[in-house]
Amino acid sequence: MFMFGDQIIVIFKFQVIQIITSMNLRQFYKLLLFVLLIPALSSCFEIVEEINMRNNGTGDVTLTINLSQSKTKVASVMLLDSIQGYKVPSKQKIQSELAEAVAYLKKSEGISNVKSSSNFTNYIATISFTFKDVSNINNITKNILAKQKIKATNTSSYSFNKATKVFSRKYQPVANAKSEFNKLKNQDKAVFNGAMYTSIYRFESPVTNVTNPASNLSKSKKAVMLKSSIINLINGKVNVSNQIQLLK
Amino acid sequence: MKKLLLALSLLFLSSLTYAQDLVKKIPANAFTVATIKGDNVFKLMFVKDFNESFVGKKLLTETSKSLDKNFTSVEDFGINLEKNMYYFNQLSDSITYNCFLIPLKDASRFENLITDKEKKIKVDGEIRTMILPDSTSVIKWNNNMMYFVTGSINSSFFADSVKSARYGIKDIRYQDEISMADSTMAATDSTYVTTEAPMVEEVIAPPVLKEKVQKKTAKKSTAKNKSVKRKKGVKSKKAPKKVKHNEYDSAEYAVTDSVGMASLPATDDQYDQYQQERAEQEAKKKQLALEWITVQANQIFNGNYESIESNKSYAASLDKNAIAEVWVSSLQDVYNSLSPAFGSYGKAGVMKGYGSLTAKLFMDKKSFRISTGLELAKEQADSYKKIMNRKLNKKFLKYVDSEKAIGFMGYAIDTKAYLEELPKLMQQTYGSFLGTNKMDEEIALGSELFSLLLDEEAVSKVVKGDALFIINGLNSRDVSYTTYDYDEDYNQTEVTKTKKETLPDFLFMFSSEDQRLMNKLIKYGINKNKVSVSNNIYKIEEKKSPIDIYFMIKDGIVFFGNSLTEMQSINDNSFRASISNTHKALLTKNNFSFLFNAKNLVGKVPNEEIGVEETAKKFNETLGKMGNVYMKSNPIKGNLVSADISAEIPNGHENALRYLFTLIENAAK
Repeated sequence: MFMFGDQIIVIFKFQVIQIITSMNLRQFYKLLLFVLLIPALSSCFEIVEEINMRNNGTGDVTLTINLSQSKTKVASVMLLDSIQGYKVPSKQKIQSELAEAVAYLKKSEGISNVKSSSNFTNYIATISFTFKDVSNINNITKNILAKQKIKATNTSSYSFNKATKVFSRKYQPVANAKSEFNKLKNQDKAVFNGAMYTSIYRFESPVTNVTNPASNLSKSKKAVMLKSSIINLINGKVNVSNQIQLLK
Repeated sequence: MKKLLLALSLLFLSSLTYAQDLVKKIPANAFTVATIKGDNVFKLMFVKDFNESFVGKKLLTETSKSLDKNFTSVEDFGINLEKNMYYFNQLSDSITYNCFLIPLKDASRFENLITDKEKKIKVDGEIRTMILPDSTSVIKWNNNMMYFVTGSINSSFFADSVKSARYGIKDIRYQDEISMADSTMAATDSTYVTTEAPMVEEVIAPPVLKEKVQKKTAKKSTAKNKSVKRKKGVKSKKAPKKVKHNEYDSAEYAVTDSVGMASLPATDDQYDQYQQERAEQEAKKKQLALEWITVQANQIFNGNYESIESNKSYAASLDKNAIAEVWVSSLQDVYNSLSPAFGSYGKAGVMKGYGSLTAKLFMDKKSFRISTGLELAKEQADSYKKIMNRKLNKKFLKYVDSEKAIGFMGYAIDTKAYLEELPKLMQQTYGSFLGTNKMDEEIALGSELFSLLLDEEAVSKVVKGDALFIINGLNSRDVSYTTYDYDEDYNQTEVTKTKKETLPDFLFMFSSEDQRLMNKLIKYGINKNKVSVSNNIYKIEEKKSPIDIYFMIKDGIVFFGNSLTEMQSINDNSFRASISNTHKALLTKNNFSFLFNAKNLVGKVPNEEIGVEETAKKFNETLGKMGNVYMKSNPIKGNLVSADISAEIPNGHENALRYLFTLIENAAK
């Protein structure tokens, strides 16, 4: 048993110098990045969800994830193989997953005009598409959940009633999201500090009523915005559910 | 009054001779010796304070609870806390002994720890003996010392049938079992003979299970064993009887099996038989181990033998100020003695050239320190001496700012010597490793080739072998990022904003006499647009890099860094820094040194970059409590290489031991 320990000591003492001298520049650089990453990995990122609804029920969606505020850290992390026990995806891997998502959307019912972009200087990725009916999005989330084998009841749904002119977003925080989140190590939780979520729904007709008090109505009354920190969404402190009544 | 003084001094003297240090009881051939120095420990913390500490209380309440007694002080255990406690082990081809020598102050108090002592303790004059319930260990004590020994048989020893036969032990293997089973259960077996073989092979697979089953049976039989011993003394004549009893058990099994599930469990049956046989042999081994342990324990108490004190290496390793010490005799010897356990690689002698190993723990008012040392063979030591014959470039020190430095790491080796000695060292370590395949010659050839291809002299001019990595502080700089603005109608526009980001400024430098290669590389880089230059300062144009990296060559030093201002000030000789004497000594006197000064980091990272305020507060608090952490290698003395790690304790704590106790208490909360 202790033989093993001894060997480690021996190897440690005598190989330290050998390691340092034989370490190539890239390895050294990685080590350096570790040193530079001293503060916890608190990073700011934002997720923006935009839906432009037309009165006939069709519309466009744009989803944006923007890590630009943390680009120094992201760039550092991207150079590592894994961090805090999580594997870091390569640029190629991210791009191919994005392409896969696009291909999947293209095949989905009622979805057209699918586009995506990725920017690895500022770390911004977007995906946008046009839908025939806003409920098409519900199917996508459902299928994605099924594909990822996540056993979660679909807690988020969109609907638009052309007759009553009510746009409704239903969202129920995933029951175990909070407890799962609390299970994370503090340093992993820190990743979500300062992360923001923004949703903007734009309409052709003016809005007469919104049920979510956290949402704001634009000056023209044709757009509704809701901003929240992602932590609050996970904790369930903020709910994004909303019923938006348009002028009939 | 005089009489009283005389009496006192006499008493003092007699107690000195009476309670001699237990090191005399450690045999000269001990392999590892570990010491806890009671007097040094309790100098730092009074027994009373220990009892009242979190750890002490826990220890006392737990033992009180488990023994259903009421202990208020560690002194209640009867141990002499002012003397040294020892652990040592002894290795042989057949058995390994793990032994503890504990000084006693009050044997009756110690005996109080034992429940049912009348039944368990065997008294022989002053010496009392107790065999532990699982009969793998023996405790022996008199009025001033307690000896605990436990032994484990080396299974490889009894794998040798000649040796094991000497002790009447058979090496049972499952395969042999077929024939044995056949003879004992001929009637039932004969019907299965044809189908047996393949089935048996299937059963061999789960060895884990075997072990478990075997353990159970072993325990059972030793329980019986013990009862026998209590009555009849150590040498048990009843062992064969017990074996018979087990046979009877197995017969019983066989009967029920053959009746109950006639055709199915043929192999199960055999397996049980096999288990039985094995258990018997294991019980014999255990019995033998106990006999050996008893003999060994008797010898420690009554025997006359040379003690470890006569071992020069051990004697030299002692330090009267240490709190605890560990000494391991020659790694090389031990590796060889244990070699059967390592199979054919064992003889390789990977540890060739490595002698004894020591580790010492020191605690004082200011710091913890662990000092490790390793003896080398002369040849090896000479190699390292040549390699270590280099001092850090004095010019480096100009760039260390002790007031601000968060950390640094310096090392100095002689590249030329290193390259020359490396093949030798490699051959020593790995040459014999591959020796079984007659690779010695190839290795030697490789070493020669290595020297031939490399011009050690030339390489050592490009990279002399000394380098310093330093983080002189943190600096915030503006970083731009993309975000979104929304007009009053929530239309999105992409905007670029800036924010402050705090990053450590690092500086890495190494000495180089011959810069022709570097210059050629730079020229190549510039041509390929990988490097840009302005004012003698080069910048690496790597888009993927999250930080800018600059480098330059000045005064025979190659600098790398991420702060342009620092680089510029080095270039125009306006770099201002002052190094403290401690840091100077640390860097210049040792071949390898490392420092981390957490205090210089406190409050330097803006809260919003750490995360929530709470995290930031905690982060700064933790750092503020940390003292300096040092590591250094000491110069080679004789054939001894050594290294120290020390950590300063924060202000407001009496000494390192007390600080350790508060740390444990806080961690447990």
